[in-house]
Amino acid sequence: MDAVKVILRRFVGFTIILSIFLLILNIVMLSLLISNEIKGENSPKAVLQNVAASLHKVDAGYALNDEAKDMLLQNQAWAMLLNKEGDVDWEYQLPAEIPRAFSVIDVAKFSRSYLMGYPVFVWEHSDSLVVIGFPKQSYAKYHPYFLVQWISSLPTRIVLMVVGNIAIVLLLSIIIGTSFVKSAKPLIEGIHALSKENPIHVEAKGIFRDLAYSINSTSDMLQEKNESLKMRDEARSNWITGISHDIRTPLSMILGYASELEESSDISAEQRRQAGIIRQQGENLRSLIADLNLVSKLEYEMQPLNLEVTRLSAIARQVTTDFLNNDLDDRYQINLNVTGDHAKILADRKLLMRAVTNLVQNSINHNPQGCTIELAIHYDSGHLPCRFIVSDDGVGISNPDLKDLLELPYSSQRKTPVRTGHGLGLPMVARIVSAHQGELSLSSRIGQGLAVTMSFPSI
Amino acid sequence: MDLIKNRKILIVDDEYEIRVMVEGFLRKEGFFRIYTASDSQTALALCRAEKPDIAILDVMLPDLDGFELLTQLRTFTPMPVIFLSARGEDEDRLLGLGLGADDYVVKPFLPRELLLRITAVLKRVYMPIPSEQFPVFHLGEISVDLESATVHKDNREYPLTAKEHALLVKLYESRGRIVTIDALCQAGWGDDGTSYENTLMVHIRRIRSKVEADPSNPQHLLTVRGLGYKLVLKE
Repeated sequence: MDAVKVILRRFVGFTIILSIFLLILNIVMLSLLISNEIKGENSPKAVLQNVAASLHKVDAGYALNDEAKDMLLQNQAWAMLLNKEGDVDWEYQLPAEIPRAFSVIDVAKFSRSYLMGYPVFVWEHSDSLVVIGFPKQSYAKYHPYFLVQWISSLPTRIVLMVVGNIAIVLLLSIIIGTSFVKSAKPLIEGIHALSKENPIHVEAKGIFRDLAYSINSTSDMLQEKNESLKMRDEARSNWITGISHDIRTPLSMILGYASELEESSDISAEQRRQAGIIRQQGENLRSLIADLNLVSKLEYEMQPLNLEVTRLSAIARQVTTDFLNNDLDDRYQINLNVTGDHAKILADRKLLMRAVTNLVQNSINHNPQGCTIELAIHYDSGHLPCRFIVSDDGVGISNPDLKDLLELPYSSQRKTPVRTGHGLGLPMVARIVSAHQGELSLSSRIGQGLAVTMSFPSI
Repeated sequence: MDLIKNRKILIVDDEYEIRVMVEGFLRKEGFFRIYTASDSQTALALCRAEKPDIAILDVMLPDLDGFELLTQLRTFTPMPVIFLSARGEDEDRLLGLGLGADDYVVKPFLPRELLLRITAVLKRVYMPIPSEQFPVFHLGEISVDLESATVHKDNREYPLTAKEHALLVKLYESRGRIVTIDALCQAGWGDDGTSYENTLMVHIRRIRSKVEADPSNPQHLLTVRGLGYKLVLKE
């Protein structure tokens, strides 16, 4: 199921991108925060350096400039200067509880941690030590220690950690995504089935229950509609078959007796001619019924197709030969123009012959003054469609009427009434062509003949 | 006396007018032993009693349909049967012929056509041409014997190969009419003889060398360009 794969892939991809984005964002924000804290204007280090820099010797001791004093006040910090012996040489805001002399041990202790609870920071100042103390509980001091080996392998570890994280995210997202997709999968399949009009019943459970109900009821509705449409089509087609069946018996009598009279020597020549007209019209009616029956079956997709691999050139030759063998009038000439002799399609030969014969007969019927009819087959190779073109150089038809010719007579799509014949011929041909997955197009102009192009998928 | 006209014909159709009309045509043509039935039971009884030589059956009958009637007839008689039906769908025709009918005529029909078909079936069943299945015919001075597959030209005898024979039979069956390349390939090489067109030309040339007085200027086996060939018998 493609849709499921796509959804899962998108979901996993999105989750990974989101996680990486969050990770980067966090790292950036954290480092910004830390560097701000450590390197900022009021960071212990900055205050310390400032104080150390501005502390200068005056006659009896040391003095601090105002700026540094302000800074210390701001941070509620105190400062002192220890000399080599550990005595306080200078002090500023030094709380009374702080001793005024320190041993080496004391210095070592507080430089690492706290002096009586005050977080203190030290800085060297020309043989002396500047000590700054911040209020109790204001800073926490940590001094991490690392093996050099550990530090040197840090990049690898970080990379491994990131990779591990990504793997965990991937795994989690696949698990979550799969369970989501699993519950959505029946729905996706259901919708696909709906679009193909297949009957479907989706198990209704979980968060998609309502959706499943909707899909099921839509499917049921579609099936019902198709069923009733099919039944109506069948009824119509059967009705037409029935009617044409009922017409056949009386028509047998008309044809039978008319042709009997036509050959009778008991009546005058004129009466024989009239009987001949009755017979001829009866035969026209017979072909109309046959066409009507076929068109209705094709229209309602009830015509069984006997598909075989068929060479179009063989069809063209057979149709031409049939016309020539049946004494085609000298006014008409049929030419073959085959450039794709190997063009083969899957076709019901009888139906295809009927379509082509119909087109040739059309050209003959509409051009009583005579014309040249060409049957052409064009096919290059590969999967290109084969084209079967029946054209004449006769009177032609005006362009706006062309499309109309393919519609069934008396249907709502047909704008102009039928002028000659029963008007079923071209609609029948069009339906035969589309039953073969082909397309039919007409081109014509008054006085320039008619060309009917049938394109079929080649095999 | 024409033996064919002596044959007994049974017409089974539920339409009275059709029975009358067909009987009328047949009588006019000289048939005189004609029986009619309007349903299957009558037809079966008539068949047992009168033993007609051929039956013309409608498919739609009030009791059994024509197909079932034929099945029942076949249990006791192998007589030829022609269906005459208003049901012209391919399935019906195939069903009828598949059940062993000798022909299937669709209503509306021309009486002449029905007569020709009845006569053809009667001839085939009751007057088989003894032994000689392939004809002998003449193309000008040359005589072609399809039975022995030989051509007699200038007092000499030329044998025909199997392929040449098959092609000539096909051409002779449709003599005077064009036979398409495709139909000839089919006759010579079976099923889909599409790739045999060039071979066909070679064979036609060989046939001409045997049956034409001047093979380069054929008078009887004519080429119809782009379509096929035509065998013309001139007396």
